[in-house]
Amino acid sequence: MTSQRGIVSVTVMESLPLMVPKPLAIILLVVITMVVVLYFIRRGSHTRGNSIMLVGISDAGKTAILSTLVYGQTLSSHASLQTNTCILPLNKKGVTLVDIPGHPRIRAQFREHLPDAKVIVFVVDASSISRNGSIVAEYLHQILHAVVTILPSQNPPAILILAHKCDLLKSGTVPSTSSLGQLATNRVRNVLERELEKRRQSHTRSVAIDELGADGEDSSELGGLDCNGPPGESFKFVEWEGGVIEFIGTWVSIGEKVDLENEKSGNGSNDGLKDLMTWLETHI
Amino acid sequence: MLDHCSIVHKGGIVLWSRSFTPEASQLTSSSSSPVNSLIRDALIEGRVAEEKYEKGGYAVKWTFVNDLELIFVVAYQRILQLTYVDDLLGALKIVFVELFQPFLAAFVASLHAISSSAVVLSMTEATRWNFENALEGWDIAFDKLLKGLENKAAEDRKLRLRPAARPPPTPSPGSSDVDLLPTESQPGTVDEQQIARNVEALKNRLRGRGGTRAPGRGRTRKDPRNGRDSHPNSDSDVAIKHKQKGKVLRRWGDELPSESEMASLDFSYEKLSDQDHHPASNDLEALVDEASRGIRNKDGLYEVRDWEFTNDKAADDVIARALSGSYKESKPAQGSLGTLGSLFARFTGSKVLSEDDLKPVLEGMKQHLMKKNVAKDIAEKVCEGVGESLVGRKVGGFQTTYATVRLALSNSITHILTPKTSTDLLFSIRAKLMSPLTSAQQRMPYSITFVGVNGVGKSTNLSKVCFWLIQNGFRVLIAACDTFRSGAVEQLRVHVRNLSMLSVGGAGDSEGRVELYERGYGKDAAGIAKEAIAYGRDNGFDVVLIDTAGRMQDNEPLMRALAKLVSVNNPDKILFVGEALVGNEAVDQLTKFDRALRDFSGAGTAVAKGRGIDGMLVTKWDTVDDKVGAALSMTYVTGQPIVFVGTGQTYTDLRQLRVANVVEAILSD
Repeated sequence: MTSQRGIVSVTVMESLPLMVPKPLAIILLVVITMVVVLYFIRRGSHTRGNSIMLVGISDAGKTAILSTLVYGQTLSSHASLQTNTCILPLNKKGVTLVDIPGHPRIRAQFREHLPDAKVIVFVVDASSISRNGSIVAEYLHQILHAVVTILPSQNPPAILILAHKCDLLKSGTVPSTSSLGQLATNRVRNVLERELEKRRQSHTRSVAIDELGADGEDSSELGGLDCNGPPGESFKFVEWEGGVIEFIGTWVSIGEKVDLENEKSGNGSNDGLKDLMTWLETHI
Repeated sequence: MLDHCSIVHKGGIVLWSRSFTPEASQLTSSSSSPVNSLIRDALIEGRVAEEKYEKGGYAVKWTFVNDLELIFVVAYQRILQLTYVDDLLGALKIVFVELFQPFLAAFVASLHAISSSAVVLSMTEATRWNFENALEGWDIAFDKLLKGLENKAAEDRKLRLRPAARPPPTPSPGSSDVDLLPTESQPGTVDEQQIARNVEALKNRLRGRGGTRAPGRGRTRKDPRNGRDSHPNSDSDVAIKHKQKGKVLRRWGDELPSESEMASLDFSYEKLSDQDHHPASNDLEALVDEASRGIRNKDGLYEVRDWEFTNDKAADDVIARALSGSYKESKPAQGSLGTLGSLFARFTGSKVLSEDDLKPVLEGMKQHLMKKNVAKDIAEKVCEGVGESLVGRKVGGFQTTYATVRLALSNSITHILTPKTSTDLLFSIRAKLMSPLTSAQQRMPYSITFVGVNGVGKSTNLSKVCFWLIQNGFRVLIAACDTFRSGAVEQLRVHVRNLSMLSVGGAGDSEGRVELYERGYGKDAAGIAKEAIAYGRDNGFDVVLIDTAGRMQDNEPLMRALAKLVSVNNPDKILFVGEALVGNEAVDQLTKFDRALRDFSGAGTAVAKGRGIDGMLVTKWDTVDDKVGAALSMTYVTGQPIVFVGTGQTYTDLRQLRVANVVEAILSD
């Protein structure tokens, strides 16, 4: 061992055009090996397939949810420039919470984080869904397509569509918080099903030509919207072939402090993220 | 004076913010706040190098602290001339980082958690983050800083008003700095002495650097444009006058050609005798290159293939090679530790990128981009943006400077090229055709206008797009609105004839799938387009493609005519056709077309607000090999996506752009 190291250090000395004294070179060598070992240990310990991915268009409320869950208070936020990765204590262990920016130019980053994701939370702003329906559906379509095309050897992530900001919904009566959530999820579900059906129609409408241009290259065509339902039916989330998609209505209010302990024991009455927490606990 | 000031993390969390007027505070709580639009419109799109961002009456200035991933933003009324904003940002940066360094480091680390057990433990201990307590005292410190700078600005103004010889913008030296801060003692936790020290440190730093970056850059940006505007025009005018004198005997087209001449020149109709033999069917095969035909997927949808960049050579680090010389030169000048120290620093991951480190690398990158035919201005801005986002960043592990810069550049180019609006033309056409109508309305066809300078291939690529639409089962009407160039209508007539025969392919009723709407030459293009759209509506066409005459971007009467066409017909898409061969000119063409359309079409009655270009079609793509810089220039200028690229002579030579391929081509050697 020592002779080997000697040889190595001699070669190092020859290869480096520096005037380095011998003991220094040895120290250098030791440090280098330690750094290399540490580097690989750190890489190896990176746990896979156990993270929560927050996606959704800009201004849906992803970063606000992240700050509420991780810091226990809802900080005000603006459009994100980069991905946030936090550790969320859940079920007595740390779970990675990844917040992907929603801006169209940088949202493609979700593909890098997809292999690690166990849960995808698609955040939708329930108060503006009727205006932004087609934009939201376009992004959701990309996500669904990506999930369907995951290799069969890997487990596909569970998908939750979060009808966020449902405290901002305007309705004639003043309903209780639970029915507000219901209202929001129904509205989001209806709008998204309609928009996704439009997209599916557009992509399946065809010219009846068969033999032309058939070469074996993989196409950039977005699929992932097939249903198990009877043919001719319009798109329904319950019949989606890629797995189960669930809906939950949530809200947060900026500046408010959330007591995590209260929420866990179930008596946090005004916490909009309670449903999300219980859902995450059962799926992680 | 100020309206809003905030300190935000790049991940989106606002650490601290304050609005000084009720309107501003109302605005900032909505999603259209100046900070939000700054990030969305400027920072994400790679326009970091710009000096100032203006939005809705506000001017916004910002600065980065890259190692802590913080952005400091100040917004104020645009009409105000606030001289101290740059100083304020600098001072805020230094003081804030100094005061809250440990907290900020912990905060940033928590947003980059790697799930190792140690982090989990520390996190569960400190589940409760108390931002208010942590940032306690900052309000007071901020007040002092602001007041100090405002006082100083007021003093400067007074001095300037008096005919004193003292140059006002230079920071008042030494002792007066401490006096600027209000002396009344505050019960706050912040040490006033420290603030004073920090301000002093900042002053020294600013002085050392030789002032702000503003003036130098402003000058360089203005100069080339002024020059370009004035000189070439006058030159060419003179040249034309000279030429015309020498060409008296030329036969102009104002006398009518004889019948026989017309017949021999018109190739658009086939002679009767030819039709018996169907000689055209042989030619037709030449028009479609079967090998490059698009893919028909399992749903039967005909798709344009993606343009691919094939690179046999291993993607070398060009930049590395280009820079190896200059980069090594700058290295020995590092500190007292010398090479060994920097080596250690490299391995322990504590090397911080400085401006001096980045300068040669960025210069090399700029040269490289320009070699790839990226316009000079754009290459400069992109590299400046990359540099600004890297200064102060720590280089970890075994990364070298150029690898870091290369990665950042590739990210930046990807962001610029990635479309922010949907480029799915088929979907938007179908969405329009399927949208519900009231009984009184009639279904309008989807109209696409092709604009561009002369000879870039508008008509050719219009016919390619037409072929693609026909393959997808749409009925297409082509409106011949190029009423100027001789042969333009005949050219389209030939295309329509070919397409109506080609579109067979087993589809059956190819007849009537494509038609030409022509009204001859010399007429008003806007009127013809309007008639064509009406004709398309009445005869059940799905799409109307409007071909316009090519025009130079500086020719104002023609640009006004184009804007009139746009405002009268309000087409669903305006595609700018540009050639990939264009270099520096791309910037000028696109800015002027976009601006002319916006300025002149707004004046019309039909559309309330002027509208610009919706997308680009880049032609002659096959001629440039990997010098695809025009794509970057064009998308940077307009912020709009490249919808198609034209890659050859046949109808199938239309491709969709894959961003990854273009980035690879730009960065490769």
